[in-house]
Amino acid sequence: MEPHGFFTDTSVCIGCKACEVACKQWNQLPADGAYFSGRSYDNTMHLESTTWRHVAFLERSRQLSGQTTARPFSWLFLSDVCKHCNRAGCLEACPTGALVRTEFASVYLQPDVCNGCGYCVVACPFGVINRREDDGRAWKCTLCYDRQKVGLEPACAKTCPTDSIFFGPVGELQVRAQARLLELHRKGVHEARLYGMTELDQPGTEGLNAFFLLLDRPEAYNLPPEPRVPTKEVGRAWGMMGLAAAGMVAAAIAAVRAGGEK
Amino acid sequence: MIGLFTKQQATAERELDPQLAHLTGEAAKLHVKHPAAQQGVPPIPLWQKVPSQPGEAAHQDYYRLPLLKEPVWIWSVPAYFYLGGVAGGSALLATLAHGKRGLKKLASLCRGLAFAGTTVGPALLTYDLGRMGRFLNMLRVFRPSSPMSVGSWSLAGSGALATLALIQGDRPAAKPTTRALAGGGLVVSGYTGVLLGNSANPLWQGTRLTLPLLFTASAIASTSALLELFTLNRQEERVVRRFGTIGKIAEAGSMALFELEAAQNPEAARALNRSKAGVLWNGAKGFLVAGIAVSLLPGHSVGKRRAAGTLTTIGALCLRFGLLEAGKEAVRDPQAVIKAQRKGDGR
Repeated sequence: MEPHGFFTDTSVCIGCKACEVACKQWNQLPADGAYFSGRSYDNTMHLESTTWRHVAFLERSRQLSGQTTARPFSWLFLSDVCKHCNRAGCLEACPTGALVRTEFASVYLQPDVCNGCGYCVVACPFGVINRREDDGRAWKCTLCYDRQKVGLEPACAKTCPTDSIFFGPVGELQVRAQARLLELHRKGVHEARLYGMTELDQPGTEGLNAFFLLLDRPEAYNLPPEPRVPTKEVGRAWGMMGLAAAGMVAAAIAAVRAGGEK
Repeated sequence: MIGLFTKQQATAERELDPQLAHLTGEAAKLHVKHPAAQQGVPPIPLWQKVPSQPGEAAHQDYYRLPLLKEPVWIWSVPAYFYLGGVAGGSALLATLAHGKRGLKKLASLCRGLAFAGTTVGPALLTYDLGRMGRFLNMLRVFRPSSPMSVGSWSLAGSGALATLALIQGDRPAAKPTTRALAGGGLVVSGYTGVLLGNSANPLWQGTRLTLPLLFTASAIASTSALLELFTLNRQEERVVRRFGTIGKIAEAGSMALFELEAAQNPEAARALNRSKAGVLWNGAKGFLVAGIAVSLLPGHSVGKRRAAGTLTTIGALCLRFGLLEAGKEAVRDPQAVIKAQRKGDGR
């Protein structure tokens, strides 16, 4: 199967949160409680074990280039989701094999295998996956694996009224994203940039299967600017451990020699 | 009646009528024991005073909300870190003391400690699991990319070997067993450092080179400190003292190196001096220095040995708990993640 994913174009997102609702409904996720956060219209605030789509709201007192408003103002939205990285930190850290790569190249967590060790939670460079304490297991977006298997597009993409969330084969999405970026630049929106589309854009994850078109720096949307999968850097840590172990053996030999008797 | 109860539990917080809709979604089996409060409880605790507008150019982030998730591990994980270190150090000493006439008691004590560490340790880890009944899934696959998988297999192997070594006792035939046990013990005492370093946590990832040193050095110090609490003959006392001196110096040195490596990300390093993490980390330093000071006092009294051993043990425990707390504290500041990634990036 061809890799499938999301291209989330934030320039057409209207912040309606239909994706959040569709995701909750389709996956039968429990509610998160009613809470007013005071941060624009964002009362969900982050991706959680029971929130697999999250819409970020940025009310800013400056304009986008090429925009005319009565006073300096712009309102940006982003529907955040698990990125289904090509090199996934959670998957590489999972000791039980609960996290697997599916035939659609998405990262899927098998709830019947997960034992809730919590290692994926610290391994994800995006802060996506989390352990649900009363359930005991970790949960995250499945890229609607059940829908994909029967040829349907994921619930969030299906419901998105402006096609801000676009689902399809990753190769096609990349062409679409490039065209959209050129179009926006031509219209004078110079802030537009792609986030994590290819390995060149984001070597730390070797590209995302769910990538974004942003209108501000990634950190403004709470996305890490240069995420790196932890396993990419851990080789030298194993080396240091070997060195330390050698030192420990030397210390123990020296200590036993100190006992006097050979 | 029971069927009705489970049905209600399954549909909790989902607002669906089980008569009309089937619970077959991906998250249908997600158990809700504590439904989210209807109002007033923030979905994430707010660690800082948060502006109602997102950060502007100078301080860009998203309402200063944490970018990463906090580690979910509870007290039993750092307790295991300590016990695993003791088990590893004891396994090594048990091997080297094996068959040496004057060190018979030390060897048997170390075999006992290695056994205790590698059996109580997995129990502590299981206690932290969200699904304790599935602890055997740790041995379902071997994933070399996951230090936790490597550690699970080493711990399981060491546990088996430690049990065998305990049964075989000081018979000469036990030599291969103890040798293999020592190998497993070395991994068990050091892999925890790699495990923390192999994470996206800004503090732990930033200190991934010194964490294995720190855990191994502290394993030496904790093993000898615990052995100092037991009554041993003079020859064995000398062994333990020498092992402890090296361990304590190495631990102090690794802590200094760790702080140096952490200082490369000042936002993350601040966690080492903040709130609970700060108390524990500075406590670890204080108790270690006190342990060294007491052992430098003249004389060879039992009381002195026990005092030094106790102080060093408390220090080693503070170190493990402090590292976990500091990891939790570090992610509460999104700039710890953002600034470190922006370094050397001109965009």
